[in-house]
Amino acid sequence: MKTTAKDVMVTRFKTLNPDSPITKALEIFKSSKLDGKTIFGIMVIDKDGSIVGMLSMYDILLFLLPKHVKIWGNISDIEIEGIIERATAKLKNYFVGDIMTPKIISVTPDTHLMMVLDIMMKKHVRRLPVISNGEAVGMVYISDLFKHFIERV
Amino acid sequence: MVKDTLTGLKVRHAMRKQLIMLDPVDSIDCAIQYLIKYKINAILVGKDSEKPLGVVSKTDIMGAWYSGLSLSTPVEMIMNSPPLFCGPDDTLDSALDTMKANKVYRLYALEPGSNTIDGVLAYPDIVGLLYHYCSNCNQGIFNKSDEMVQDRVKRYKVHEIMTKQVESCKEDTLLESVVEILWGSRFGAILVSDDKNYPKGVISKTDVTFCYRHGDDMTVTAGKIMSSPVALCYEHDPVEKAIKSMILKDLHRIFVIPKKHAAVSGVISLTDAARLRSGSCHACISSRIRVDDD
Repeated sequence: MKTTAKDVMVTRFKTLNPDSPITKALEIFKSSKLDGKTIFGIMVIDKDGSIVGMLSMYDILLFLLPKHVKIWGNISDIEIEGIIERATAKLKNYFVGDIMTPKIISVTPDTHLMMVLDIMMKKHVRRLPVISNGEAVGMVYISDLFKHFIERV
Repeated sequence: MVKDTLTGLKVRHAMRKQLIMLDPVDSIDCAIQYLIKYKINAILVGKDSEKPLGVVSKTDIMGAWYSGLSLSTPVEMIMNSPPLFCGPDDTLDSALDTMKANKVYRLYALEPGSNTIDGVLAYPDIVGLLYHYCSNCNQGIFNKSDEMVQDRVKRYKVHEIMTKQVESCKEDTLLESVVEILWGSRFGAILVSDDKNYPKGVISKTDVTFCYRHGDDMTVTAGKIMSSPVALCYEHDPVEKAIKSMILKDLHRIFVIPKKHAAVSGVISLTDAARLRSGSCHACISSRIRVDDD
């Protein structure tokens, strides 16, 4: 019976360096599929091999979101032209470490799957890095967890 | 008591609910990451489920760099403590008075009798509310199609509320001097101008914290790190037009020129617009208008 994170985690995953330009991350997001899975979140590993953050699709979209967008609903004649280009152009000046999520939640290979599920639900995360002795050894995806549970119904 | 457009409105009507909090032992580097990511100027510091202990702003971070502190320094070493709170049901007028009296740019809304923070109120949030007010008013500038009717409405113009004293430097000014100027002024950005005082670029506190994070040193010149071109508006533009420009360009301030290809004569910020405490025209009955001077 599979019961812990190591039983559902994938062990092939992409990583990024915090000093890499954000354009490198975008290339991975644009082109990568790993084991048939489109990548939406990548672990960020420093030169000592320790995980220092996670860069996800959400981080990038959050960065693109204009600061005062709440007020936009009151503007009827927004000149759309150039707004998206300006927002995306800004991204090119940044590094992975600038906009990654630095405080990440992780599990160990021995964390029980119900605990993994509990963390994902409470923290609204779709993927959790699996860390063993300070080193990233895998990633648990919510989709794999879901499949694992429904196969037992 | 003088009434204004905000009279009767409460903090909860304008505050933002997205709240980020750092742990006191989190590093300055972590604080900069969150400030960049969430496009905010300050961040609360505290422990989960406890009353927040302090606030770290871009100004504090700039000061930390100037003092030679490393990026790994815990934020508790540089935070301002305690944060200033208001209640979600306090009036916006009283919140603005508190901000003005204490010379702060934001207040945290604390649920009475608890440690729960409901939201944060900053000047741009108040501008958002005022903009909403104007856009729903049939006298609003963007609701007017008939030029003749529009001309009869006396509108606040940029030159009426802009700040005329603009801090500036030259392209060869060292970052160390830029930081000193920014530190001593209430503005979040400094203009980089040429010998004729024509605008060449802008350096904001965000740019400075960005340099700190990227390991630049204080001997880099203003010309190397400034953002350009400079966003501009005209002295005689209606305030509402300047606000719209700031909102769409994701800026907090915009520099003012009297005419095309002229030197900068002032700067207008969302903070200035919030301090107006009124819609952007005199269509409100005069007794409800109050221009809030410094």
